Amino acid sequence: MLKATDLMVFYENMLALNNISITCADKQIIGVFGANSAGKSTLMYTLSGIMDDIQKKEGMAGGERITVLGRIQYLERDITDLKPSIRAKRGMVLCPERRRIFNESSVMENLRIGGYLATKKQSKETLDYIFELFPPLQKLKKRIGGFLSGGEQQMLAIGRALMAQPKLLLLDEPLMGLSPLIQSILVRATRKIRDKRGISIIVTEQYARPVLPIVDYAYILENGAAVLEGPHDEILNNPDVRSAYFGVSEE
Amino acid sequence: MDIFIYGTINSAALALMALGFALVYGISRIPNFAHGALYVITGFVTWICLRSFHLNYFLSILLAMIITGVIGALIYQFILIRVRGMSISEIIASYAIGLAILEGFRWGGFKGMTYTLPAFADGTIMIEGIPVDMQRLFVVIIGAAVVAFLWAFTHFTRLGLALRGMAQDERAALMLGIDSDRMAVVAMALGAMLSGLAAIVLLPLGNIVVEKGYDVLIQAIAVCIVGGLGSWMGAVLAAFIIGFAQIFTVVYLGAHFQMVVALLAIILTLIIRPSGLFGRQKELEERV
Repeated sequence: MLKATDLMVFYENMLALNNISITCADKQIIGVFGANSAGKSTLMYTLSGIMDDIQKKEGMAGGERITVLGRIQYLERDITDLKPSIRAKRGMVLCPERRRIFNESSVMENLRIGGYLATKKQSKETLDYIFELFPPLQKLKKRIGGFLSGGEQQMLAIGRALMAQPKLLLLDEPLMGLSPLIQSILVRATRKIRDKRGISIIVTEQYARPVLPIVDYAYILENGAAVLEGPHDEILNNPDVRSAYFGVSEE
Repeated sequence: MDIFIYGTINSAALALMALGFALVYGISRIPNFAHGALYVITGFVTWICLRSFHLNYFLSILLAMIITGVIGALIYQFILIRVRGMSISEIIASYAIGLAILEGFRWGGFKGMTYTLPAFADGTIMIEGIPVDMQRLFVVIIGAAVVAFLWAFTHFTRLGLALRGMAQDERAALMLGIDSDRMAVVAMALGAMLSGLAAIVLLPLGNIVVEKGYDVLIQAIAVCIVGGLGSWMGAVLAAFIIGFAQIFTVVYLGAHFQMVVALLAIILTLIIRPSGLFGRQKELEERV
């Protein structure tokens, strides 16, 4: 489904992504784990093409010079040079870090803005699905986005991304700052989205423990480079990972 | 009573002038200082269609508005897109365009009192014993219609919702497949057409002169600053505040103080409440 090879991103002379290759097969959930500033968000922005927009704006304002190298293949086609809006149209939708809800719009409006790329029929069907997936949103339809709690906002952000009819959903730190209860609801929902709708998912997280059970394959980033990758079981049983990302020491 | 009636008319006129500016700023964060020039363009194009090509009045209006919309879109597509995101450059570029257009008209000989547009309908009606001519009535009706249209457009249509999404968080909208550059073109075209509509409704009340362009720009900016930049409802409310304040000044202080009101409103707002009545988001962030 997605195959990115040798991605490198420089902010001026600082290397943010170092030779990362990542693949995601049909209906897989891929986990990308790493500490702060390991390059998770940079990777997500690069895959979804938002990096183009950042690069353009920075360039115009005379800010940081950003260089992006490497190729991205998606659905058997090279999309490296495509605009982010076209990538979204082809089904690659990013649900960004810190959620970025439309603060002044109600829940319902947020979802309808998300449905920009969907047909009327698709929107209707997806709306029903979102309320089934996240029942708490049902009661909050009229609530203004900015007044939702963090967990509700994250549900809304995922719902909004689903409205764009993704084939590949990029979830950037969906669990950040949320309670363990909400985290487990979101993790279960993520799996359901893959199982029921056949959407492939790439999810990044700082803390691997809540997400690792549902991922098929995981990458571990450190300082912009993938230091470790492997299928679910292999990562789970790796002693380094256990100590670094689960807080389990084996001494 | 006459203060109420003429205050309402004046407020509707101000709202019409300001909405185009507020719309463009609200959606794409571009302070469109060519707003006044677009206003005058529509006036002159209508006049040319009407007098030189002898077209039907309605057809001339339609044509003029479409041309203005296209000019607005072209201004963004070819000039403003290059300085997008740098507010100072956006102001300089759009003001330069406006200046070039307006002074171009002056240089081209469009000056003096000879250019006027006919009123939509002649005649005067009496409201509560106060004579109101039909054109001024049209100002209120069309002003209300524009507000209603904008509200419906941004709440119920796919394009309108996309524009609002972009107004709130451009990058988040981009992630959902909303092309921000294309939306900014749409916003500019729409804003230009709104300024054109204001011109068509308001110009029959006076002459088409180049100075109108500067005057409209100042009024529009005053309304938008008082209402809070980027907030459409704020702009409408501010139009009523300034509109009534102007009529009060005319009645109690004299007509030549009218222009002072708008400028004083800008200064007072910037001192007391810099984000305006409905300053976007700031307040929401403070409360959360």
